[in-house]
Amino acid sequence: MKNRLSSITSRMDKLYEFDRESVSQAKLQSGGKFAGLFAGEHVAATEFVIGAFFVLHGVSARDLLIGLLIGNLLAVLSWTFICAPIAARTRLTLYWYLRKIAGPGLTFIYNLANALLYCILAGAMIAVSATAVGLAFGVKTPSLNAVFPSSLGWVLITLAIGILFIILAILGFEKLSRFAEVCSPWIFVVFIAGAIAMLPRLGVHPRLDNLWEIARTKIWNGIPIAGQDKFSIWHIIFFAWFCNLAMHVGLSDMALFRYAKKWTYGLYSAFGMYPGHMLAWICSGVMVAAVGRQMDPGLMAFEAAGLAGAAGVLFAGWTTANPTLYRAGLALQVITNWPRWKITLFAGLLTTFLSCFPVVFMKLLDYVAIYGLILMPVGAIVFAEHWIFPLLKIEQYRAEKYNWLFNWRASISWFGTLAACFFMPIHLFFRWLPGYFIALVSYVLLMALKRK
Amino acid sequence: MNKIIYAFVSLLSLAACILSPLLYFLGKLTEENYKLVFLIASLAWFIFATLWARERKKA
Repeated sequence: MKNRLSSITSRMDKLYEFDRESVSQAKLQSGGKFAGLFAGEHVAATEFVIGAFFVLHGVSARDLLIGLLIGNLLAVLSWTFICAPIAARTRLTLYWYLRKIAGPGLTFIYNLANALLYCILAGAMIAVSATAVGLAFGVKTPSLNAVFPSSLGWVLITLAIGILFIILAILGFEKLSRFAEVCSPWIFVVFIAGAIAMLPRLGVHPRLDNLWEIARTKIWNGIPIAGQDKFSIWHIIFFAWFCNLAMHVGLSDMALFRYAKKWTYGLYSAFGMYPGHMLAWICSGVMVAAVGRQMDPGLMAFEAAGLAGAAGVLFAGWTTANPTLYRAGLALQVITNWPRWKITLFAGLLTTFLSCFPVVFMKLLDYVAIYGLILMPVGAIVFAEHWIFPLLKIEQYRAEKYNWLFNWRASISWFGTLAACFFMPIHLFFRWLPGYFIALVSYVLLMALKRK
Repeated sequence: MNKIIYAFVSLLSLAACILSPLLYFLGKLTEENYKLVFLIASLAWFIFATLWARERKKA
């Protein structure tokens, strides 16, 4: 067993070999690159669903705007003060830094968890795209509470789209990445155009004198639809904050920020949070209100912008599912040692199977919360080792120094935190914050006990 | 030279994508015409932005 694990970890090391070295000074990137990267990356197919769900959960217009302003600010600050400083000091990816701290065994488990979570996320993207293609074939989008596929047509469409995405991902990830670069500004425009075009249907005058009144009474009217719990300003603040929890507090964006000249480049994440998330969520809220609060991204975009709108949903799903499939494949490749095409096929088939179940996008908000929650303790462990250990004079990087396969204390801290979060008597959206401190304190205490 | 033309036309088409819903909102375009302009401008964006990206890569 130990030999098998060692062979897996050595394959894993080989796979990530290209980013093993710290980034050299010559390879550091300008701030503009970070602004562009964040602006392009944070307008995805899921934005059609998230903003619409805020409306269905009965958030009020005032709570939405203030909540998004504060929540996105907290996300930007998390990138700036938690993720970017560690990345700029170490110039390493989370993979290599975690390996020094938690050992290759735990890093492998982290990779595996990440891969499975990516597959579910890509499944949600495929399902969102299916709502657009389904329009052409008269296939109805499943209802809000649907867990299982509602019709054979839905299954066939998700399977067809999933298989198409897999083939394209296998044929050429790089070409698709270039296509995604071309797509992203246009997808952003689809959101804005769709929302503007829906304003007359909601009764907004061209002089905009009744815009706030319509927003307050017809869009974010504070009344949840049947079966959805009511969201307050706190739900919005926390959602906007934890939407990319694995990336900022969970530190997986160290892979990006290791190329930053200064840690203050974390502030460029604002380009992804404000013109990206905030605006896209507001626009999709307008669109869902104008189609009678039906959670159907394809229909929303088609009604708002015609064929181009439906294509926008399809492309948004495609361009975001593609790198997600690639990352999942990369993470899974170490277990099987299969060639790239075979593992992409496997990850893709798993993802496609998952996408048949409408629950993956109908419960997207909960899934996003769970995704961040599962990976967040790893960020706390790395933060503690990086900043707190030197202050308390606890020896750093013992897993690397003493060749530990597993840092058991990190494992206990990670899984113990998840168990504690599971039993917390508070809404799922709020559990990660106390969980973060549980992970931080428990890891410091456990490692301090092992102090020489 | 090509690079400049492709960049100009692609940005112009993106601007048309933004302007068409605005004109519809202001009552200067019908819904059908807005959707048609948006579709054509979107196609133009994909063609010229792809050519622009290719030129940038060459450079």
